[in-house]
Amino acid sequence: MIESFKHLEELARDRDLADVFLEADEQEHAVPADMILEALRKRRAVMRDCVERGKAGDGPSMGKLVGQEARLLAAAFNSGKTFLDPLTVKAELYALAVMGENARMGVIVAAPTAGAGGVVPGMLLALEEERHIEPETTVRALVVAGGIGSIIALSANISGAAGGCQNEVGVASSMGAAGVAYMMGGTTRNCVHAAALALKNTLGLVCDPVGGLVEVPCVKRNALFAVHGLTAAQLALAGVESVIPMDEIVEAMVRIGRSLPRGLRETAEGGLATTETGTAIAMRLKEEANQRRAERAAERERLAQERKAGAT
Amino acid sequence: MAIRHDRKVSILDVMGPVMVGPSSSHTAGTARLGRVAREILDEDPVDVHFFLHPPLAATYRGHGSDFALVGGSIGLNVDDPRIPEAIRIAEQMDVNITFSEEDLGEVHPNSVRIETRGANREVQIVGSSIGGGVIEVFNINGFQTRFKGDSPVLLLFYRDRPGMIAEVAKTIADEGINIASLYCSRKQRGKDAFMEVDVDSPLSTAGLQRICALEDVADARYLDKIP
Repeated sequence: MIESFKHLEELARDRDLADVFLEADEQEHAVPADMILEALRKRRAVMRDCVERGKAGDGPSMGKLVGQEARLLAAAFNSGKTFLDPLTVKAELYALAVMGENARMGVIVAAPTAGAGGVVPGMLLALEEERHIEPETTVRALVVAGGIGSIIALSANISGAAGGCQNEVGVASSMGAAGVAYMMGGTTRNCVHAAALALKNTLGLVCDPVGGLVEVPCVKRNALFAVHGLTAAQLALAGVESVIPMDEIVEAMVRIGRSLPRGLRETAEGGLATTETGTAIAMRLKEEANQRRAERAAERERLAQERKAGAT
Repeated sequence: MAIRHDRKVSILDVMGPVMVGPSSSHTAGTARLGRVAREILDEDPVDVHFFLHPPLAATYRGHGSDFALVGGSIGLNVDDPRIPEAIRIAEQMDVNITFSEEDLGEVHPNSVRIETRGANREVQIVGSSIGGGVIEVFNINGFQTRFKGDSPVLLLFYRDRPGMIAEVAKTIADEGINIASLYCSRKQRGKDAFMEVDVDSPLSTAGLQRICALEDVADARYLDKIP
């Protein structure tokens, strides 16, 4: 088992990082490397498909707070009205597309969670396209990203409820940054420092979703942190290193998560959720939910009556 | 750094699952918890009651946890596009569904107790959705356990007596199956007891029958990895 990032660096040395993770996973979980790669090929395809659906998708989300973001950015990009470079715009766009689908209860890949599921595909699929990278390299980068996440998960719960958004979007951007560094030919040390730089600079990020939904601020946050992860990978590939080692950053994340008040850990009882607008939206959602429940109860009653009538 | 060896998660657990949105802990994890109850029950449920820990009770509806819990408990997978329709499907199957709130004590915020009843069995589980779709079931039918649904497992309900563990281990060894870990708990010495045996490869129906036939075994269930 790879017990820490320090252990990972000792273990990997000059070997291909994806191979190191595949070998460790095979030993630990008895899943052959070929099966892991095959599963990840399918997941890359689900991500790709999700991006395509999400770019065009304009149905409302469950809470009707989001859903148009990807379509708007795609329209601006396609008509030449964006000012950032294409890689950055696509990373934002793909992250938004995935998160729009997620909010519509579409099929997505949790990476590592659904609420942070736009970050990794945003970064990796945009890079694959813009740099003409072989899809198989992206699949191996998913191994690297997943491997990084599995080491973090040894000491941290990967959920906003446990430690705020740093544990979700923070971890996703960290995983994605390592994946990007890998795709760009970085060393294991580059990859770990890319992960470290990304994670370190998301520490303290709280989880304060409006109405408790994975909509506001989650959808747009995924886009912004996909870009954050790209910049972390860029620094690491240039040789910039995190002064604080990755293992200690994860430890800090756990400590910060524990000291976050309950209201900022996914309960929707603090932060953005309790702003004037956030509160008003939560009220509306509650009323709508009550109405739906009443409708369902009426429907059940009607069905019961029908059955009764049928029985006599 | 405090490493929790029981938290070992695989690459595919982190980079996944493929699931219906919007929340891996509130939708995928809760669906898997419902699925665990369904797999132990091993028949269509007639009655399912979900007791939500207060933080989950506060947030579950907006994440579709109600659809997901119900979907899992009637056997849907986390990536089944019918999950948003699960409550309607359950109603058509004539399953009686109830949600209530219950303080489950010092547990993860996203925890739930599920009571499910079919024509032949009754099952109760208590578990948490700890993030990314990963679950921990820590109580089955009143017995302490530490079940994650990430490997094939044999669940055994039996009367506590000397030699029971050896007999079960031998039967599994005779099947050519390696035991990854084993956990036992009991309500009282010599009384109702429970064994959880994580195995490295699937147990055949014949193997399960041989275990069921052992003296003092009340019930045995073999569960595959929970998808």
